Amino acid sequence: MSTDTPDRTDAAAAETDRRGLLARLRASPFLSELLSNRLAVVGLSIILAIVLIAVYARLFLDPGALASSRLGTGIPDRHPPGWASSVPADRYLFGTDAAARDIFRRCLYGAWLAMLYGTITVGTSTVLGVGLGVVAAYYGDVTDNVVMRTMDVLLAFPPLLLALALVAVFPRELGLWRAVIALTLVYTPRFARVVRGAALKVLEDEYVDATVALGASDPRVLVRHVLPNCLAPITVQSTLNFGLAIIDLAALSFLGFGAQAGTPSWGLMLSNGVNNGLLTGKWWLSFFPGLFLAVTVLGFNLLGDGMRDALDPRMREAVD
Amino acid sequence: MVSTRFLLKRALLLVPVLFGVATLVFAILHLAPGDPARVIVGQRASQAQVEEVRRQLGLDQPLWRQYLQFLWDAARFDFGQSYSIKKGGTVRSVLIDRLPVTIELALYGQVAGIFIGIPLGIVSAVRQDSLTDHLTRIGALTGISVPIFWSGPLLILLFATYLDVFPTSGRIDSTLFLPDHWTLFGTELPLTGMVTVDTLLLGNVEAFLSAVHHLFLPALVIGIYSTALISRMMRSSMLEVVRQDYIRTARAKGQGAKITLMKHGFRNALIPVVTVIGIQFGTLLGGAVLTETVFGINGMGLTIVTAIGDSDYPVVQGTVLTFALLFTLVNLLVDVTYSYLDPRIQQ
Amino acid sequence: MSDAAVAGLRAGIRARVRLVGSAAAVGAALGVVAAGALAASSGDVEAGTRTAFALGALVLGFGVLGWSGSAMVGDSVETAQRYMATRTDWTERDSRRAMARLSGAGAGAMLAVVAVRTVLLG
Repeated sequence: MSTDTPDRTDAAAAETDRRGLLARLRASPFLSELLSNRLAVVGLSIILAIVLIAVYARLFLDPGALASSRLGTGIPDRHPPGWASSVPADRYLFGTDAAARDIFRRCLYGAWLAMLYGTITVGTSTVLGVGLGVVAAYYGDVTDNVVMRTMDVLLAFPPLLLALALVAVFPRELGLWRAVIALTLVYTPRFARVVRGAALKVLEDEYVDATVALGASDPRVLVRHVLPNCLAPITVQSTLNFGLAIIDLAALSFLGFGAQAGTPSWGLMLSNGVNNGLLTGKWWLSFFPGLFLAVTVLGFNLLGDGMRDALDPRMREAVD
Repeated sequence: MVSTRFLLKRALLLVPVLFGVATLVFAILHLAPGDPARVIVGQRASQAQVEEVRRQLGLDQPLWRQYLQFLWDAARFDFGQSYSIKKGGTVRSVLIDRLPVTIELALYGQVAGIFIGIPLGIVSAVRQDSLTDHLTRIGALTGISVPIFWSGPLLILLFATYLDVFPTSGRIDSTLFLPDHWTLFGTELPLTGMVTVDTLLLGNVEAFLSAVHHLFLPALVIGIYSTALISRMMRSSMLEVVRQDYIRTARAKGQGAKITLMKHGFRNALIPVVTVIGIQFGTLLGGAVLTETVFGINGMGLTIVTAIGDSDYPVVQGTVLTFALLFTLVNLLVDVTYSYLDPRIQQ
Repeated sequence: MSDAAVAGLRAGIRARVRLVGSAAAVGAALGVVAAGALAASSGDVEAGTRTAFALGALVLGFGVLGWSGSAMVGDSVETAQRYMATRTDWTERDSRRAMARLSGAGAGAMLAVVAVRTVLLG
């Protein structure tokens, strides 16, 4: 035993942590392996670009103006992109929609909406999933059985159909929040499962037993020892599910259960494209919002796959 | 042989599945905000009218009595009348009209997925890390990343609107009319409601070709997704099996690598894939909801979306129970296939 | 049937009844609490008991569906796991036990809420 008091040991350890953080990151096998995976780097670059677009859109574009109709202002409606028609190439870069709104700016703002509501959905289900998973792993027995098997049954439902059923329960006035709440509930079980798996592995390690033996109370053990060790698998699972959450949010908007009419969300723009441009060949109404959506989702899938491969094999099993 | 006892046991599970789904649907619709009576009479009707309709529908009864009544109705697949989708028509008639449409779409999508996905997965596994493997895997990842409500419109725009090789919507040429029954040895029999089947039963080749022509794009869209899933699954399953010992043993005995793979590997690799096909059928139904919306096909998927949007509760109930029934039957079918592949399963 | 077999069957039934029964008791208690809380917050006994009954039905429906679903695809899932060598601890038996508990709790809540409503409103 050292002669230090417990407090000083803690402080010293924290100090080492802080100084060594950058060095440790650089030496981390997870990061170096991830960065050597070319596809993962492509995915990361895509996501960074979309985030930049989202921030730009939030700061410099006015959502009210993007939502309201421009009919009767002299701007042509359903005008093809400038470079594909007779007007100067830089006008209407992505064309205009049925209400004469500029599709390019609407797509940019759509990035902000997708990232914002994607983050809320994934973030909330992560928090709920972490709570349920840690509780199930820590208390075990009947609690574990009932909580986790319930999660499994929820996981067995097809996500979109379950989300539709849940959307029907919530009042229409909630608008896009209805879709967010429904999808949060759909995604929570995935996080609960990962966290429980990871938490069990941590709890198997002896030092938690030792901590409990030393008299640390339940919440302290969970917060100090179990959670930090679950961070990596949680991050991987969040990344993998972020893309899916964005698709599902767009799907609900597309079906008319998400964003309110006029909102520049990608799913709603695609729905407008199907209603206003399919039979008359106005391809730009559908093409560009879908392109943004697909590229964003591909970015998250590539990064997520790479992260999973770079993960400690012991933890990889928990992430599906 | 598949034991009848095993199958009977599985078939009996239909009862608790449907009871569970019916109870869930009942609970969800009673927890959902909104008054069905108000939906029927409309916003401008008086409170007295609402009360009248509530009494007619039995909504003034204690909830437990409504629950028992609902279970009894559900057991007979009687959900009363549609509020808005087919006003005045029974839910059952709506379901009879639209179920075959979705079955047909899902069937072709699933068949396409199986017949393209399994060979792709095998080739990908046998030639691991070859160009073919990489292309297949990237293709599969793209197939999963690209949402149906984007690939669908793009395919319509390219093949229907611009190239004009496929129709944009509908199930059969509008100039063709099908009778409502067919004749076998002089007896009149009802048609199935699946156009590709009906046209064959009627012996009308021109109509059959037209039906296939109309179904091609939607089935392709839904097929891309299931192809991507199945080829991924088949690849990893095949690789897993190849790694196992008995293949190595067989190879050591001197058989050629390819024959070994085919003989031992394929059958075993197929088992998890078949089971996944059953479990994934639900996802396929989710895909059908989007595909039907994109192509304007009047099947179960479009029905449930419209019904939720219009608060047509009886139709929602009927559709959800039919989906559950369909899912259970498909899994029963998977069980049969599966017990042929894996004899150990017949306890 | 031999005596031993009958005894075994009885023990099995007794264990199952105990599993579902204890869950039903918990469910009944929760149902009464929920009905009381809902009635108190809305000031309407009828509405409160209705919502509580529907919540019980939600749990019952979920449990029964999960139970039969586990029985239906249980083999498939276990086989898929065996072949794919994914180590999860999901077993059909565990899942069915958990779902039986939920079903019991839901049914218990529904019955208790009906009883409460009958006592209060006649």
